[in-house]
Amino acid sequence: METIAVYWEPRIKTYGFQRITDLALIEFSCPLSNIKPLGEILSQDDLKILRPKFIIAQVSNHEISFIICLPLKESKDFHTSLEKTSSPTPYKYIYPVSIIFFHGPHFGDRYGIANATFSSLSKAGIKILASGCSSASVFLVLAQHDIDKAEETLSETFEVAK
Amino acid sequence: MEKLKIGGIKQSLELCQFDLRGVHSSEEITANVSKLLLSQKINMEFLTHYTHRNNYHQLTFCISQDKFSTTSEILKKEGSLPIGWEINSRGQVGIITIFPHQSAIKILGAIMVSWAAQSIPIYGIATSLSAISFVTDYQLIDKAIDVIQDLFQLPKDHAPLKPEIRYCQSDIVKGD
Repeated sequence: METIAVYWEPRIKTYGFQRITDLALIEFSCPLSNIKPLGEILSQDDLKILRPKFIIAQVSNHEISFIICLPLKESKDFHTSLEKTSSPTPYKYIYPVSIIFFHGPHFGDRYGIANATFSSLSKAGIKILASGCSSASVFLVLAQHDIDKAEETLSETFEVAK
Repeated sequence: MEKLKIGGIKQSLELCQFDLRGVHSSEEITANVSKLLLSQKINMEFLTHYTHRNNYHQLTFCISQDKFSTTSEILKKEGSLPIGWEINSRGQVGIITIFPHQSAIKILGAIMVSWAAQSIPIYGIATSLSAISFVTDYQLIDKAIDVIQDLFQLPKDHAPLKPEIRYCQSDIVKGD
C-alpha cells in the first residue's frame, strides 16, 4: 500500500532554540581494541553523577574519539579522572563553550534541515566546534561568544513556532 | 545488583554510513556536503562533525540504505570534497536509540562493555536531550537490542520501537 501526503514548509519550522552555556568540551580517544576497558571506566559509580549535555563519538583509523560537554565543575573532575588512567588519552579541553539545540515538527522525516543549519552558520562566519544530529534534534557546540550570533542567524533561517 | 532503568529502545530501518575525513580547508565541509545531499533530496538521519587533533575534520552521517550508490557517486565526483579528503563508507548500518532516565555516561559505558563482549561494533554515537543513539552493524541489530534488554530494566511490556514505514520525498504528486 502506498500513502501519499503532500506537505512542504517554505520555511522550516522549529519549536524554538534552546541554549546551555558555561560548559567545557572534553575530547578523548582510545584504540577500538580498548573499548571494553574504556566502557568499564565510564560505567564506574563515581561517574554516575555526571550530567553530560552533549556526547558524540566518531570512529576512524581503528580509534574511537569521544567529545563530551559537561558543566565546568563536573568537567574538571572528569578530566582529572581521565588523566589518572592510561587509557583513554585526553586530547582537548575547551572552556567556555555553549550548546544551541533545536527540533521541529518535521525533523527526522524531511531533507534540507542540515543544509539550512550549516549553510546559514557558515555564511555568517560562525565556527561550529562540534555537532550532532540524531533523534530529530540538532545540537551545535560553539564558542560561548558566538552563541548570540548563531541564534540570530538560525532564527532568520527557520520559522519559530509561536 | 539492581539494573539501571531506561525508558525505552528504538531501532532504525537499514541505513548506510559515510565517514569523510580531511584537513581543514577554507570550505565548510558540513555545509558543502549537506548541500550536495539536499540536491538529491536525501535526508540525513544521523550526523556528527568534529575537528580532531592535528586539525583533522571528520563528518559522519547516516542515510537510507537505498541512497548508498547515489551518495557515493556524488561524493566521489571531482570537486565535491576538498582535495585530499578521504571517504569511508559502510553499506549496512542501523541505529539503536535508548532513552535513559539518568546516568547517561554509566549507561554508555555499560553498553560499550557488553557490546564489546559480544563483538558488536560501535560506529558512532550522538546524544539528544533525552536519548543516546548508537550506530552499529545492521546485521547485528537484533543481537545488540537483546543485549540492551538484558542489561537494563525497561518499563513493563516494553517492546523496542521498530519503524514499519519509510518516508519517501518527491516533488512529483501522483494523481488517481
